[in-house]
Amino acid sequence: MAPGEKIKAKIKKNLPVTGPQAPTIKELMRWYCLNTNTHGCRRIVVSRGRLRRLLWIVFTLTAVALIFWQCALLVFSFYTISVSIKVHFQKLDFPAVTICNINPYKYSAVRHLLADLEQETREALKSLYGFSEIKARRRREAESWSSAWDGTRPKFLRLVPLLVFDHEEKDKARDFVTGRKRKVSGSIIHKASKVMQVQESKQVVGFQLCANDTSSCATYTFSSGVNAIQEWYKLHYMNIMAQVPLEKKINMSYSAEELLVTCFFDGVSCDARNFTLFHHPMHGNCYTFNSGDNATILSTSMGGSEYGLQVILYINEEEYNPFLVSSTGAKVIIHQQDEYPFIEDVGTEIETAMATSMGMHLTESFKLSEPYSQCTEDGSDVPVRNIYKAAYSLQICLHSCFQEKMVEKCGCAQYSQPLPPAANYCNYQQHPNWMYCYYQLYQAFVQEELGCQSVCREACSFKEWTLTTSLAQWPSVVSEKWLLPVLTWDQSRQINKKLNKTDLAKLLIFYKDLNQRSIMENPANSIEMLLSNFGGQLGLWMSCSVVCVIEIIEVFFIDFFSIITRRQWQKAKEWWALRKAPPCPEAPPSPRGQDNPALNMDDDLPTFTSALRLPPALGAQVPGTPPPRYNTLRLERAFSTQLSDTQLPGEP
Amino acid sequence: PAYLFKPWHSCPPWHRGDRNMEKPGHREGATMHVKKYLLKCLHRLQKGPGYTYKELLVWYCDNTNTHGPKRIICEGPKKKAMWFLITLLFAALVCWQWGIFINTYLSWEVSVSLSIGFKAMDFPAVTICNASPFKYSKVKHLLKDLDELMEAVLERILAPEPSHANATRALNLTIWNHTPLVLIDERNPHHPVVLDLFADNHNDSARICNAPGCKMAMRLCSLNGTECIFQNFTSATQAVTEWYILQATSIFAQVPTQELVQMGYPAERLILSCLFGAEPCSYRNFTSIFYPHYGNCYIFNWGMTEKALPSANPGTEFGLKLILDIGQEDYVPFLASTAGVRLLLHEQRSYPFIREEGIYAMSGTETSIGVLVDKLQRKGEPYSPCTVNGSDVPIRNFYSNYNTTYSIQACLRSCFQDHIIRNCSCGHYLYPLPPGEKYCNNWDFPDWARCYSDLQMSLDQRETCIGLCKESCNDTQYKLTISMADWPSEASEDWIFHVLSQERDQSTNITLSRKGIVKLNIYFQEFNYRTIEESPANNIVWLLSNLGGQFGFWMGGSVLCLIEFAEIIIDFVWITIIKLVAFAKSPRRRPAPARYAGPPPTVAELVEAHTNFGFQPDTANHSPSAEAYPDEQAMPIPGTPPPNYDSLRLQPLDVIESDSEGDAI
Repeated sequence: MAPGEKIKAKIKKNLPVTGPQAPTIKELMRWYCLNTNTHGCRRIVVSRGRLRRLLWIVFTLTAVALIFWQCALLVFSFYTISVSIKVHFQKLDFPAVTICNINPYKYSAVRHLLADLEQETREALKSLYGFSEIKARRRREAESWSSAWDGTRPKFLRLVPLLVFDHEEKDKARDFVTGRKRKVSGSIIHKASKVMQVQESKQVVGFQLCANDTSSCATYTFSSGVNAIQEWYKLHYMNIMAQVPLEKKINMSYSAEELLVTCFFDGVSCDARNFTLFHHPMHGNCYTFNSGDNATILSTSMGGSEYGLQVILYINEEEYNPFLVSSTGAKVIIHQQDEYPFIEDVGTEIETAMATSMGMHLTESFKLSEPYSQCTEDGSDVPVRNIYKAAYSLQICLHSCFQEKMVEKCGCAQYSQPLPPAANYCNYQQHPNWMYCYYQLYQAFVQEELGCQSVCREACSFKEWTLTTSLAQWPSVVSEKWLLPVLTWDQSRQINKKLNKTDLAKLLIFYKDLNQRSIMENPANSIEMLLSNFGGQLGLWMSCSVVCVIEIIEVFFIDFFSIITRRQWQKAKEWWALRKAPPCPEAPPSPRGQDNPALNMDDDLPTFTSALRLPPALGAQVPGTPPPRYNTLRLERAFSTQLSDTQLPGEP
Repeated sequence: PAYLFKPWHSCPPWHRGDRNMEKPGHREGATMHVKKYLLKCLHRLQKGPGYTYKELLVWYCDNTNTHGPKRIICEGPKKKAMWFLITLLFAALVCWQWGIFINTYLSWEVSVSLSIGFKAMDFPAVTICNASPFKYSKVKHLLKDLDELMEAVLERILAPEPSHANATRALNLTIWNHTPLVLIDERNPHHPVVLDLFADNHNDSARICNAPGCKMAMRLCSLNGTECIFQNFTSATQAVTEWYILQATSIFAQVPTQELVQMGYPAERLILSCLFGAEPCSYRNFTSIFYPHYGNCYIFNWGMTEKALPSANPGTEFGLKLILDIGQEDYVPFLASTAGVRLLLHEQRSYPFIREEGIYAMSGTETSIGVLVDKLQRKGEPYSPCTVNGSDVPIRNFYSNYNTTYSIQACLRSCFQDHIIRNCSCGHYLYPLPPGEKYCNNWDFPDWARCYSDLQMSLDQRETCIGLCKESCNDTQYKLTISMADWPSEASEDWIFHVLSQERDQSTNITLSRKGIVKLNIYFQEFNYRTIEESPANNIVWLLSNLGGQFGFWMGGSVLCLIEFAEIIIDFVWITIIKLVAFAKSPRRRPAPARYAGPPPTVAELVEAHTNFGFQPDTANHSPSAEAYPDEQAMPIPGTPPPNYDSLRLQPLDVIESDSEGDAI
């Protein structure tokens, strides 16, 4: 016994850490199982019989496994979303309303720039389809174009020739200007034929775009001459307009006073001053109502058409460009104040001689950003520079991405989108082969080869105005008689012309009711929920808690290793002692004594039971100790008697 | 030990008195128990504290089911401190998390469920109005003066030459003088010149300025024309339209409703043909309602008197098909500049707010309307601020005469009308009138136009109304998909007009034209409903399971642990009371020490004497784990009994059991 005690004392003295009280791992395990708060372990130790014990081990392990499994499920389903839809009835901000004439520039103002192009287009129409002269509803004043062909070499047709493909001769095309047949090299791209089977007509019209060296060419053909001519015209048109400075373009387009005959908002008159100019490359001057420029955003506190925006627009069909636009009317888009109006993409068209009433319903949507979904809050984390002066949106990102690629690949910017810094719009003078480049790039963009679609992410929150659009005849037959002269009088400050029904369009934009729906994504789980779910699982299977986990860490990691290290330390010391021992002759007895306790220490150690079994050496007890002991024993009894005592008074 | 408490057994005199007072209560059995209980309490109080705070704490820690406290007492001093901190930390965490959960629960959040599909549903009520409220031919005599005036005004504006000035026929200028249209010349911004259109001094008014500095305005006066404001317009069109509507409103407000109904479009003239599903219907299936802004309106399937018609199939064939004639030639020229049918789909038994929510259908076209019923069902208080039937809204619903259900539109309109009645002492013609009030008109209420215009412009008024009115909990919207086509086609035009004319007017001549005829198809879409239903996101079960989860997670506790804790607290309080009583009594005892030899021990002393014995082993130099292995302390003398006794007392029995078990293996 003495050597064991000595070793223990030594261990205690040498070890820097006050280790666990249990001397061996087995003892530690037993101690843990008996004292832990989890429910399974105790059963293992307490059960009698092997089968029972085995069963309890299996149960405990299953419970542990279940806990792990369920907790893993909880963790993996942490980032789930729940959606809530809320409806508020409140004063609503009126959205910005951008109104454009479909025709970008007054034809009379822009004609001098487009004279050559128009002439050639007419010529092409004449030779291709035998169309001789425009029989317009209204004859224009200077209608001297029929006598056009003045022998000069066509400029535009030479640049991008219109070709007629005969079905019989696959790779031959007739250049209609020269009449020569020429061989078509390169790939022939049929517009639209990829999507659907076009019924092959005998003649197919198209145009050819070539790179600088004219070796690689792409030919675009169209199923209908209308599309071909329009596309061809548009190409040249963009080319010409790209060279015109912005101020000049604004002057050539419609002024706000001209476009807006009357304006009425929320029962109060408004006029052109309430509109801000926004120049759109393809639609000319557009005007935005309630653009928030002067830092005030108008709001509506009443639903219904009389409290919304009512405008009468003047659409002068005589000034329309016959080849560029083929429909008459205006385009309107409802958007947020800081949003860019993509009027050609998502605009609503308004017919003339009609009242278009648009009832709005506002729906707000909020998505959760990372890590719930891929959306972006303000676009700052999207690696595409926003070339628009507007808040981020997916469309802005895609357009910016394309424009950047365009500048990068073709060296110039596409006309219908804003200019990135330090770039110019494409035109023939500086970039002779930009069209080929553009079409190639556009093809790649559509086929998602440029990577724009993967880089751009949707915005996390957006407002949407759902429109219920209905039309009515305006002005009515009987009111026409007085309404048109008064409107003419109103407009006489701008134009000197008797207004016709078809020159006017009435537009009503209003909130149908002031209900705002918000669709919000919320995290379905919070960290508290996760913890409480953990708690539920731990409690359900094992009645475990974090305390238990700390216990486990304490016992299995700290105590466990300290016992092992303690033993290793002891062994090392032994070994050291052995190495040192040989010179000493009286060494042999002591190592044996030291060796034994390490191996069967629990045998040597007087555990509680062994202490109990000790031979009754009570007689050899030291005097003086007993009194306090007795005292405590007595005290215990005193408590019980006292308790019964408290109940006593009830009996009498 | 009983002897220690001996001195406390004798009750003080005031206690005895109490007992005597209670004696009569012995007769009743009910008071018996109370008395017994009180007696017990008394005994306790007399006896003094049986055990101390520390004892109690240790007992609690040892026996509680929560995981932390147990560890505090069965570990060494360092670990004890650590475990104490951990337990405190976890308890704090639990409290914090509970706070969060209870907050979340009390925020009454809702979760929504969305269902989309097709089911047989009641076909929506369809309200149809003509854009012109009255037939001009029937209303001409009322508007004669006004129209002449209007024409003169237009003439004046359009042809400013004085040559026409003499054409100022015998105009009834009383209307004009009440609220005239004026021209404000602001070309000199410091001296705006106000020109009456019919002013006599032709030199000024003759030259009606049409420069950007000039604008039309309406003069609205109050207090017998002494105090005036000008309502400005940027265009003459607006000015004359608004002026005309104001005057016409004043005229119509004086005519009784029955007469107005007579002047409107009758159902049999408006509705030419009607087909619902495969069943024919006629104008008799429509309920007539007088809507001041659009005259006679007709509601199909309102469900007021009979059951609502269901529609069990999607598609045009199973919907409502109507052919209407708007009779555009007979429109009131200055009142309705837009020609068409006003149309609204709404719920059964709800009032059609057609001016706010209606859509147009154009003449000469076939308008197809696909319907999707978008329902939103809300939970109501306390989840969302909505009202089920409007009874808790502090505004009298003037639309209740129609027997319709509550809607926020009705509330807002009633609120507005209420404001007008209070401020202008008359009701506006466009809104229903409470009993005992009159509609505003220029003759009886000369100031009303000014008053009304002030109120209409006032944002305060609107915001109060928005603040007062509550949304309805069940909100139904009809999402419409509108498409149009020309109708009738040129080929079929002849026979269709012929047949319809024959049917309506029994004439062989064609009495209808493209300008008046409207075809409507209203039908359910393939998916005809979208229901958004709210349900409480967090119910009490959710709350309890999360509270339990948190408590279990951090401390392994349950409700029983809480009860344990409460018990301990009660014990604490009890001990405190007993101690206080003992403390209060101790000075009294002192002057009467007769029965005892020595001075009686103070409470504190007694307590100390008790507690120290029991818990000496728990002091720092004697850790509980050391008790498990008592040999460490008992090093020099083997088998010294005291530590054995000690461990016997503190250690529960099962330790011995299990140890022997372990040996058996």
